[in-house]
Amino acid sequence: MQISIRGLTKIYQTEGKTFRALDDVNLTIDANTIFTLLGPSGCGKTTLLRSIVGLENPDSGEIRIGDEIVFSSEKNIYLPPEKRGLGMVFQTYAIWPHMDVFNNVAYPLQNQNVSKEEIKKRVAETLALVQLGGYENRPATKLSGGQQQRVALARALVAKPKVILFDEPLSNLDAKLREETRKELRAFLSELGITAIYVTHDRIEALALSDVIAVMRSGKIIEKGDPHKIYFRPDSQFVADFIGRANLLAGTIGTCEGEFALVETAIGKIKAMNPKAFPVNTKVVVCVRPEFIRLSSLRDERENNLFKGIMQHLVFIGEAYEADIKIGDTLLTTTVSPTKSIQEGDEIAIAFDAQHAFIVSE
Amino acid sequence: MPQRGNLTLHLVVIVGFLTLCPVLMLLLGSFMEGFGEFNGLTVQKYVTAYTDPGLQEMFVNTLIFTLGSATVATTLALFLAYMNTRTNIPFKFAFKVISIVPMMIPHILFCVSWALLLNPSNGILNKLFMDLFGLENAPFNIYSLWGMIMVEGLLDLPIAYLILAPAMQSFDVSLEESSKVCGATNWKTLFRITLPVLRPAILAAIILVIVRSLASFAAPSVLGIPGRIYVLPTHIYRMISTGFSADYGQAAAIGMSALAASIVLIYLYRYLTSESSRYVTISGRGFKPSVIDLKQYKYPLFTLVGVLSFVLIVLPIIVLLYASFLPYIMVPSLKAFSMMSLQNWNEVLSDPISLLSLKNSLMLGIGGATLGVMLSILVAYVIVKVRTKLSGVLESLSFLSFSFPGIVVGVGFMWFFVQTPLYGTIWALLIGYIATYLPYGIRPMSSAFVQIHASLEESSRVSGAGAFTTMKRIVVPLLIPGIVSGWILMATMFVRELTLSVVLSRPGSEVLAVQILRFSEDGLWGQLSALGIIMIVISSTLVVVVTWIGNHFSGMNVKG
Amino acid sequence: MQKFLSCLLGVAVATSVYAADVVKAKKEGTANLYANITAIEPLMEAFSQSTGIKALYTRVSTAKYVSTVLTEHMAGKLQADLLQGPLPVLQILKDKGVIDTNYVSPLAAGYPDWAVKEAGIVQFAIEYVAPIYNTQLVKEADVPKSYADLADPKWKDKIVMPDPSSHATTISWLVGLKEAKVFENDDAWMAFLKGLSANKPMFVKSFSPTPAPVESGEKLIAISMPKYIITKPKSPLGWANVGPILGSPRGISVAKNAPHPEAARLLMDYWLSRDTMKTLASKVGEYVLTPGIYPPIAGMDKAQVIPIRELSDDEIKTWGNTFKQIFYAK
Repeated sequence: MQISIRGLTKIYQTEGKTFRALDDVNLTIDANTIFTLLGPSGCGKTTLLRSIVGLENPDSGEIRIGDEIVFSSEKNIYLPPEKRGLGMVFQTYAIWPHMDVFNNVAYPLQNQNVSKEEIKKRVAETLALVQLGGYENRPATKLSGGQQQRVALARALVAKPKVILFDEPLSNLDAKLREETRKELRAFLSELGITAIYVTHDRIEALALSDVIAVMRSGKIIEKGDPHKIYFRPDSQFVADFIGRANLLAGTIGTCEGEFALVETAIGKIKAMNPKAFPVNTKVVVCVRPEFIRLSSLRDERENNLFKGIMQHLVFIGEAYEADIKIGDTLLTTTVSPTKSIQEGDEIAIAFDAQHAFIVSE
Repeated sequence: MPQRGNLTLHLVVIVGFLTLCPVLMLLLGSFMEGFGEFNGLTVQKYVTAYTDPGLQEMFVNTLIFTLGSATVATTLALFLAYMNTRTNIPFKFAFKVISIVPMMIPHILFCVSWALLLNPSNGILNKLFMDLFGLENAPFNIYSLWGMIMVEGLLDLPIAYLILAPAMQSFDVSLEESSKVCGATNWKTLFRITLPVLRPAILAAIILVIVRSLASFAAPSVLGIPGRIYVLPTHIYRMISTGFSADYGQAAAIGMSALAASIVLIYLYRYLTSESSRYVTISGRGFKPSVIDLKQYKYPLFTLVGVLSFVLIVLPIIVLLYASFLPYIMVPSLKAFSMMSLQNWNEVLSDPISLLSLKNSLMLGIGGATLGVMLSILVAYVIVKVRTKLSGVLESLSFLSFSFPGIVVGVGFMWFFVQTPLYGTIWALLIGYIATYLPYGIRPMSSAFVQIHASLEESSRVSGAGAFTTMKRIVVPLLIPGIVSGWILMATMFVRELTLSVVLSRPGSEVLAVQILRFSEDGLWGQLSALGIIMIVISSTLVVVVTWIGNHFSGMNVKG
Repeated sequence: MQKFLSCLLGVAVATSVYAADVVKAKKEGTANLYANITAIEPLMEAFSQSTGIKALYTRVSTAKYVSTVLTEHMAGKLQADLLQGPLPVLQILKDKGVIDTNYVSPLAAGYPDWAVKEAGIVQFAIEYVAPIYNTQLVKEADVPKSYADLADPKWKDKIVMPDPSSHATTISWLVGLKEAKVFENDDAWMAFLKGLSANKPMFVKSFSPTPAPVESGEKLIAISMPKYIITKPKSPLGWANVGPILGSPRGISVAKNAPHPEAARLLMDYWLSRDTMKTLASKVGEYVLTPGIYPPIAGMDKAQVIPIRELSDDEIKTWGNTFKQIFYAK
């Protein structure tokens, strides 16, 4: 089911100040995709999710789910959440403590005209789907965190909703369980072929789970695309920085060469991809991911981007060293294979390919 | 956990000492032949007390009266608390104040006001209805079981409100939101999710009101005796007033059934809420209670709540104010207004004993409530979080003197305090108050405790903080709503406490309620009303100040 | 007052070896009076002012009187120097050895013989019971003229009275009406009770809540105490002279082992003085036993006031049951 959002704005008044939680959001979410809203806390991602599900009443704009307008300030339409036919997994899971697993999961069906046998059958099916078959009579308060999360998922799915929404559902799980669940959830949702909207502030979760990621900041969607596009070719410095570790070097475009450009930076000239085709003299930022920076020999003149520096810090993290390299007054971060015999204070050279450096707007 | 075990044991000793002594005195007294002399055991008093032919009717009346009052108080409190904490009804603060105002009115005055409004002969409201609808007879008779139930229910409304409101305030709204997303309407969510999750708090409110109305004297005596309806406290009064050498042993024997009923109720409550330790609704992250938009129902509901509050609570206070300007009680008329003066106020404000009693009551209210709340925090902690056999004992102990009918427990305290050097001093009152009304502090506090997840404390213990530091730094700040409730309940109770005070107060330790009783015994209703209003003003000030301080502190916590 | 007191003390010292020793009393500094009689603060104040001895007034209601005093007495902590209460209460306390039977105040001589016959207790007043009515709502012609008039059906739902099945003073009063032969015979008395019961009087717990419903017009007549006409001067209250007035005697005694024995005696003398009794009558509306002093209530000086025989608690309970059957009949 496709979801389209037009001009959505939500303003909060707190202590005399106005705060735009959503600021003219326009967005289309294609049917049967896993769509992630990613952003730092307070960026408006949860407000957007709650607006879609109907728990928030925005000030203006329009939300369509499929062909149905569920909210429109112009037409004065506001469909309450219980009439939107969606499923949602809450951050706290919101498992009702006074009910057993069966009643928690059966609840959405009990709110429709579904026969008792049908409810029984579908709850059993759904519980089996989330690998909680046979847990029907367990009191909700006797479940582990992971089990609660599955019950919440089963509850969101049981009524076969048009869209399922997730509000940071993994943030209360421990790291290992989170990683496993992430994988399972991805496989599960793809198989189900359902439209899913997922809110998180965890970039790895977003990258691992999503078909499409939308990055939000200050109530606005600033960039949208598939995980590769967002990671490798982001448009802005903010997204580049938020989605992964990045070395960001401010500079000015000197010359343009096709899809590349030469940028004057504090550490010298850098040849980098210029996908947005910024013209000469534009102030830009060059972004290089640490994993693309390698140690080089000083003599290798063939390298595009070759710089001399001093090894400032080395931190052992198991599979590699994290290294800070000082070039002039600038620090660049990279990872170094633990087999290399380098010590802090050594003079070294680094290099990276032009197609692995890219220019983003300030 | 040796530390926790020690805490429980210490508290059992302290609370046991406070509440068990008077009750043990009464228990002994009920088996003694002579008055207060420990000679010769007998069960004669029980035989006499329990073979009274009117007993069955009295027990049935008591049952209807207590259950009815609990229903009225809890239903109203639920409605008001929900409106206040969860909806966008306008003028919330006013409603909050109104729902705790009956706490501050001397109960006897509240009952007399209602008699003035709804007595069948010339009740002001009855007359109004008769004129409006051309009725032959008065439509209401306050001197009836339903009249007692309504008035007692209103008097106990604050108890229920102050237990329910904090629980509702700290309710995890995602439980309701998820219900709505699952296709349930607001109504269905209310009845299938909100109320069941609040069950521990609701049960606590019901039980506390039942226990309180079992011991209450004002409504049964002012409204019940004229209606010839006797419930336990008036039955006991009748028993001890028939004759000059009151047989308190026999009264204590009857009182034991109230005590037994209360203990059964407390165990029932513990059984019913044994799952509640996991009804954890404050998670580690900040929560904001979401507000339900009443939309087109906003003003109709506001009007309903407004009219209800006006009729039920404001009107009796207006009657008080009116009476305070009159030389004697009369139905409003031109003549009545022409006779109004400030004389009652002048007399009250220039009476040295009234002024002394004001000072004493204020001190007892503030000091007593503060000490009481500190003890309640510890006791509630043990009851809710430790939950051993011993903590069950502690909970029952805390209810002992509370659930005893006031007329009798006062004597128990007298028998106890007269053995100590505190007898006749204000300290006896202070200790007696705390011992008797400890459940007022413990109930709201344990409702609040139930909602705090163990991990919040555990993380503090792990961070190297001891049990007491954890209490101070982690638990107490999260308990602020419960603390405010408990403090208000205790302070306003202490400011108007009568049953113990009338027995224990001596020259120099006079308190407001005793002074009010004097005025009432002399039939000085004008001065009585004036002093009653002063009492209400004092209590309201305390409530406002403490609520403000509470908001200030919990505000700091959110920001910090 | 000063003049009166020096005179009084002169008499006391001159006439009796037992009379109060003023110097010692002053040294003791305080005298504590336990009393069930109300509105006596001005008397206490006057005593303190003229003697420099602090007079404390501890108010103890009748229902709690015996239990309070006995509890303190048995614990050796009785703080009372002087005990004032209904005669039956003082008799119970005397039996328990709480009362000093040795001190005879020289001022007791001014009281009727029957009032001072019992050692240690002086009966100084009668808690007199009579119907009171609302002077604005009851026409002069309708005011009851006899006890039997109270049983007239025209007063149906118009009377308020203390519960005759439990309120000890009211029970004694009803029995008193029988024993004092106020009615021709016991049948007439019983007919009166039944008639009163048929008028469905509203019951309250004691005398103190009786005037309020009459003032407000909720009821027209109260079986109450005429003294309220004095203590509530602005209220529209009058009393109905329905025949001989009955009441329980009020007594006063010095406590045995009083903490301040001399001050106690001094306060006793002061209490029994003619001036104090005058004040009690005029300010508190008491019917005192000092000859020639009456409360300033019209017609009271001509009224016949009879003390009720004191009933034992068992008698009160038995009669209470009898009255319960009459008044609570359905």
